[in-house]
Amino acid sequence: MMNRMLIVIVAGMLVTSVSAQQKPAQGGASSVRRDADGHPDLSGNWTYAIDLAPAVLKKSADGKVTTTVIDQSARHRAVENIPGARPWTKTPSYKPELQAKVADLAAHESKVDRVFYCGRPGVPRIGSPRRIIQLPGELIFLYEEISGDVYRIIPTDGRKHHVDANPSFYGDAVGHWEGDTLVVETTNFVDETWFGEDGYFHSDAMRVIERFWRVGKNLAYQVTVDDPKVLTAPWTSFAHLITPSDRPLEESPICREDDGHRLQNLDHHLQR
Amino acid sequence: MAKVSVASLALAGLLFTGTLSAHHSPSAVFDMTKPFVLKGTLTKVDWVNPHINIFIDAAGADGSAEAWKFESNPPSWFRHVGMGRADFAKFIGQTVTAGGMRARDGSHYGYMRKFTFPDGSSIELDNGGGGEAKP
Repeated sequence: MMNRMLIVIVAGMLVTSVSAQQKPAQGGASSVRRDADGHPDLSGNWTYAIDLAPAVLKKSADGKVTTTVIDQSARHRAVENIPGARPWTKTPSYKPELQAKVADLAAHESKVDRVFYCGRPGVPRIGSPRRIIQLPGELIFLYEEISGDVYRIIPTDGRKHHVDANPSFYGDAVGHWEGDTLVVETTNFVDETWFGEDGYFHSDAMRVIERFWRVGKNLAYQVTVDDPKVLTAPWTSFAHLITPSDRPLEESPICREDDGHRLQNLDHHLQR
Repeated sequence: MAKVSVASLALAGLLFTGTLSAHHSPSAVFDMTKPFVLKGTLTKVDWVNPHINIFIDAAGADGSAEAWKFESNPPSWFRHVGMGRADFAKFIGQTVTAGGMRARDGSHYGYMRKFTFPDGSSIELDNGGGGEAKP
């Protein structure tokens, strides 16, 4: 090792995520802050939920080398034994006649996935919010999203779905509390999005259930997708354990994907 | 200040194998087996999604000016490692050494690997090999 070369591992978030995996049950819903109605308060900034490159940044200046790694555990790392999590399966169950289509879309993701070309991911592909503002009768979800920063308003005052709303990428959401779990049901989607990057297309009948609950200082998040037109049964994905974030929200720079014409093969990778 | 931890590095390798930034793999556009280095004037920094772009004017083999473009990770990635546009833009108009992997289509386009700036500082992205050729 070179003399005077100082290597610093900046991995606070990594350490946080590892600790969370080892003992996810620490704390518990009983210890969390609650709102005036007695519900757990989900408010706050939460870890960015989009995959970030696993690349390591080595920064050298004034004889010091700093190595920084990225934690993306909130996105793709299934944390087992999250209290309150529902049983999950790795893949949705498509109708037999549609399975070849899913496989073909997945194989050609870099050509046909609108999200690749800066399209809106929709719900649930956008993931968990970067910020939650919990108010009496409603919650505000704010997202940092490269296709354009997104907000969602989730009424929790007993309102029903809008009957005259137009279909949209982020749908029409209503929420309610089941014990200490916030349950958000969203319907009325356009059929242009996928609900997962592996070619998981859906119809306009898709219904998405997102569940949010506190596990100590962390936020647990789990999604169930139902679409009787394409699936043989509702699909529940693994639960995410999302750590609090002290990073303020920032406007997402405009998205311009101009590599499409340069692609020489179909290599792609998990994103969301 | 943390001490070097081999275990941490190994763990990082395990956790981060298999996924990459943005959506296409670099190997879909760039030949990851062909590193190259050039020296030129940093002319522009586009802080855009899904990849930031750094523009460099360099002298070609015959001495004529060549406009090069380097792609790297998304702005959010740089934000998470504590870097912003200004960390590149402050060197606009100055000579930098840029290393990367060249686009397979042969154009003056590279995948950023290591930049060395005129003040002697440098940044280097190490994808560790595992993330560069998915799936």
